[in-house]
Amino acid sequence: MCPSPFVQRTKMIEKKTLLMFLVPAILYLTIFYVYPLLYALYISFFDYRLGIETTTFIGIKNYLQALTDHRFIVAVKNTAIFVIGAVAIQLCFGLTLALLLSAETRTMRIIRALILLPTALPPLVVALIWKSLLHPDLGVITYYLRAIGLNIGRGLLEERATALLSIIMIDVWQWTPLVAIILLAGIKSLPQDVFEAGMVDGASWWQLIRYITLPLLRPVIVVATLIRSMDALKIFDSVWAITGGGPGTATTVLNFYIFEQGIQHLKVSYGAAVANYFLAMYIPLGIWFVFLLYFRQHKI
Amino acid sequence: MKKSRLIWQLLKKFIRVWVISVVLAYFLFPIYWVFTTSLRHRIDVFSLPPKWALNPTLENFEWIFRHTQVGRYVKNSMIISLGTVLLSLILGAPAAYGFARFSFKGKHLLLTSILIVRVLPPVVILLPFRVMMYKLGLFGSLASVIFVDTIYNTAFAIWLLSGYFANLPRELEEAARIDGCSWLRAFWCVALPLAKPGIVTVAIFAFILSWNDFIFALGLTTPVTATLPLGILRTFGAMGIGWTYMTAMCCVAIVIPMIVVVWLQKYYLSGLTFGGVKG
Repeated sequence: MCPSPFVQRTKMIEKKTLLMFLVPAILYLTIFYVYPLLYALYISFFDYRLGIETTTFIGIKNYLQALTDHRFIVAVKNTAIFVIGAVAIQLCFGLTLALLLSAETRTMRIIRALILLPTALPPLVVALIWKSLLHPDLGVITYYLRAIGLNIGRGLLEERATALLSIIMIDVWQWTPLVAIILLAGIKSLPQDVFEAGMVDGASWWQLIRYITLPLLRPVIVVATLIRSMDALKIFDSVWAITGGGPGTATTVLNFYIFEQGIQHLKVSYGAAVANYFLAMYIPLGIWFVFLLYFRQHKI
Repeated sequence: MKKSRLIWQLLKKFIRVWVISVVLAYFLFPIYWVFTTSLRHRIDVFSLPPKWALNPTLENFEWIFRHTQVGRYVKNSMIISLGTVLLSLILGAPAAYGFARFSFKGKHLLLTSILIVRVLPPVVILLPFRVMMYKLGLFGSLASVIFVDTIYNTAFAIWLLSGYFANLPRELEEAARIDGCSWLRAFWCVALPLAKPGIVTVAIFAFILSWNDFIFALGLTTPVTATLPLGILRTFGAMGIGWTYMTAMCCVAIVIPMIVVVWLQKYYLSGLTFGGVKG
């Protein structure tokens, strides 16, 4: 049976209304996001520098050049060390915190609110605070580290061996609370009866955590790991403000390298090529996260 | 037997309190340092061993308002953050409603693609966006930063609000529709007020994201349009150890985010975890 003209008409109106709701946002994202991304892909096959009008097609030369660029390889390595180091520490520390602060008392709620403060501060301000605290001559922390007899050379941020570690520790300071709170929410949503069963069977505190909490918490741990890894890959502010990629190339991470090449050195094409490498490494994580989140919310 | 158990209990409690205090001190010390340093006299900051006693003064704040562009930076940051909030909601809220209330081919793919936009790294878009702004003659304008921040926050608004709208009871809007309301009116008068918590979350989070942004401001603004974080770095990057002034300016930059975390934590947290944790 054919739908009546009335139904057809209503359907058309519905479609029009739908378009009215969606079109502005989709159009906006296409113009300001999709188009620039495609442009970046296009321009990466040329030799284009901002301010110079001539653009010559050079194929994949930019991409090949990056592979032989020592600083690019170092940047990839440093980024990997940073992300893995920071996220691993945050997970261990965050889990400890979550278990420590899980009681539902007034004091605990206030403490949980307080430890979230670092996450809201501008990363650049956080960087400047730590830069001052770790100042090689006048920093408070530097002073006490020396006072207890540690040999920190010219200071944690000035030594090749400790510069990247310091940047990691700043990230740990700012973002561990977030991991803790995500894991805490996960712990709270676990069914209580399995713990009771475990306790009846005489499991120790550690066994309860090791064999019940952690396995049940796995999905939440995965989400926390993904959120933090994606964010850690964006590390830029503290490197820019504190070490400038140095000493040497000790803290040159990918974002810093791309910014330096593409914007400071005006090598738009080369910067875009490196950025596209970065994007290719990043996208699997992004897709994984989005699908996890999407399936969880829509249950399809 | 009983007594030793009691002692053990007490000891456990004592260790717990002690560990929690250390944790709190660790997370709060840098914030404490920035506030107290901003209230110190210049001469007291550089004494070694560090001085802990505080003899407060407001002269640092007076100094930065007199000798630096802090007023302009705050104004720029404010315009960018509020502009982003507004634009993201205007674009994002209707789209989110469209996703929640209509079904069409490719909806899931479109929605997941939009969410991916939200998580992709800023530096990837920055280079081509910068060239685009040059060509449009918008380079160095506050609008250019609003435009780029809005990309991320619109994607976020669509994601978070489509979840909110989908969970609202359809019956209310249907009643309004039967009474002769258009979809647009049903959205504006019925659905939008009901989704207020979601709107607040998006607004707060978009504000903080723009307020705290550094890389876009660094890549897109000129000294005239510099935002607060960038302004702090520009003013004190070369000055070395003007710490009392620098921390005063940092205090100006962190006071709004700190208020948000303390008073609106529920919303903030929900934004931070992509709607995963609801207070």
